[in-house]
Amino acid sequence: MAEPILEVSGLFKHYPLTQGILFKKQIGAVKAVDGVDFTLLRGETLGIVGESGCGKSTVAKLLVNLEKPTAGAIRYKGEDITRLSGKALKAVRRNIQMVFQDPYTSLNPRMTVGDIIGEPYDIHPEVAPKGDRRRRVQELLDVVGLNPEYINRYPHQFSGGQRQRIGIARGLALRPEVIVADEPVSALDVSVQAQVINLMARLQDEFELSYLFIAHDLSIVRHISDRVGVMYLGRIVEIGRDAEIYDHPTHPYTQALLSAVPVPDPDAREHRERIILAGDVPSPTNIPSGCRFRTRCWKAQERCALEVPVLAVPAEFRHASGPQAHDSACHFAEEKQVVPPEGASDDHDDGTP
Amino acid sequence: MLLEVRDLHVEFRTRDGVAKAVNGVSYGVDAGETLAVLGESGSGKSVTAQAIMGILDMPPGRITGGEILFQDRDLLTLKEEERRKVRGAGMAMIFQDALSSLNPVLSVGEQLGEMFVVHRGMSRKDARAKAVELMDHVRIPAARERVKQYPHQFSGGMRQRIMIAMALALEPALIIADEPTTALDVTVQAQVMDLLAELQREYDMGLILITHDLGVVADVADRIAVMYAGRIVEQAPVHDIYKAPAHPYTRGLLDSIPRLDQKGQELYAIKGLPPNLMAIPPGCAFNPRCPMAQEVCRVDVPPLYEVSAHGEPEHVVAEPGAERVSACHFWRECLHG
Repeated sequence: MAEPILEVSGLFKHYPLTQGILFKKQIGAVKAVDGVDFTLLRGETLGIVGESGCGKSTVAKLLVNLEKPTAGAIRYKGEDITRLSGKALKAVRRNIQMVFQDPYTSLNPRMTVGDIIGEPYDIHPEVAPKGDRRRRVQELLDVVGLNPEYINRYPHQFSGGQRQRIGIARGLALRPEVIVADEPVSALDVSVQAQVINLMARLQDEFELSYLFIAHDLSIVRHISDRVGVMYLGRIVEIGRDAEIYDHPTHPYTQALLSAVPVPDPDAREHRERIILAGDVPSPTNIPSGCRFRTRCWKAQERCALEVPVLAVPAEFRHASGPQAHDSACHFAEEKQVVPPEGASDDHDDGTP
Repeated sequence: MLLEVRDLHVEFRTRDGVAKAVNGVSYGVDAGETLAVLGESGSGKSVTAQAIMGILDMPPGRITGGEILFQDRDLLTLKEEERRKVRGAGMAMIFQDALSSLNPVLSVGEQLGEMFVVHRGMSRKDARAKAVELMDHVRIPAARERVKQYPHQFSGGMRQRIMIAMALALEPALIIADEPTTALDVTVQAQVMDLLAELQREYDMGLILITHDLGVVADVADRIAVMYAGRIVEQAPVHDIYKAPAHPYTRGLLDSIPRLDQKGQELYAIKGLPPNLMAIPPGCAFNPRCPMAQEVCRVDVPPLYEVSAHGEPEHVVAEPGAERVSACHFWRECLHG
């Protein structure tokens, strides 16, 4: 069960910045992804959270091969897909599919729903013989909760939530093992979000899918994920099981991020500690030395400017076995509870202040 | 009451038919108070705000009924010239998308200063000085240098601060903020909401906060009006509504959001889709999606009932200004269920 299906190591994506027209010379780079490592296990959901510009969508594009990494490896069942080409690449791509954020622009308005969902079969005809396609598409519509008779309709005849179901059906068409979902519900209304989240959870069980779920909404990520990685400026700064990250965060950025999320409970207003970060995220063309979060961190010291913290279990927790012992890239990691433990929490506080 | 909207109706005439966007909305806000208007897309929350500001696109929009009383004057009967004086000096609006609300070819200083030139007849030089002062006030660092910069040179959070500065420039009595932080990241969102709340206290302004985010509402609002299909379905002090909603739609919304502090099982999902505004269902507009719907809900449009935890067993139609109202025939069952 717990075998890795995707292993990402040392992943970099730098977009060069050039100057001059004829003789372009590189004057810098946008370091969108700047050294990312993680493992996705079979059947699990790994959530990636982060603010805009942190590189989470670039990671998604690299995984489905829409972008080529500057360096690093993406191993699918042990095979580095960044080195593949031709037939071998095509075979792998079938197994890693993507669901996009915006259901309004990710569906071609001139194609019928049947053509949109069936298009993957044109590229991978071995999955479904031509005569069988219509039936397959109708099955997929049924699976995602749409009426199979809608097969000849166009995207504009559907609401946002229904369109996202179409996008999910297209992602499922080739029976992939991994789905990379980049903000799949952020464009939807609250009441429709829940429908789509429930659908994705159901499909995961039904088709034994592994999800990489990218979002900026921390509550949704917690709801759907088994493990969560927090990204900041091109790197994962903290990663662990959902309770480890949400109830026992040790990285100051994660703590600030969690404390800033508005909680739908007016009684929590008074007794919640809010960490308001100063300033904005630095530009990815000019990443601070040492720890990239230090310019906004209230704990930053000289060491933070000199030494890049590695993503590992911090020394203070290395011998602990509790939920605070998870990977966190901070020299001064310390546990801090920022989400008030309301009602039924699935684990017990072990007394660390 | 600083602002009172009474029985407002707005429709849009389009080629495909008449879309009834606002169908009898009444709400009010006092000085120093924050009213959150909560609703999903198409609920009429923004259209109501545009009607209050007088920036509704007419045509295709048309105000077909109601009154908007601001400082005891009905804005709908004022001439456009009068209206313009109210706008800016009396009330101001903050929009969701700061980048497209700012003029890309004018420096932010010119745009901020313009307010003072047009409304106060100041010279350009004085207006520039005022602009720097305002930028300082909304805590934009190095305001003196940045006043010459253009909108694209600012980050999203900084742009939204400029929008807030612009709204505050003439010290209006009322601010309408339409999804002011939706386009921002959470850490920046917290900065901006804090700033807005602080400035509101400082100037004792009324604030109408239009949003779909139940978390933001819980953080800052005094009262909430929940809108659905162009009507207010529930209005209540913020603590009451989160503790015990008196309308199945509000209850559904609260149950359908994932929580940061809990790992839930399956989320509750309101079935179906929001109605088409050209064909709003008869009876209660929410009835096709409502788990509590009975025969009466398909026939009778529910009036706004007064909600009280104890008191009359009979349902009472609310008087204007009632503290808590619900447009559900079965609000009592919802409240206790």
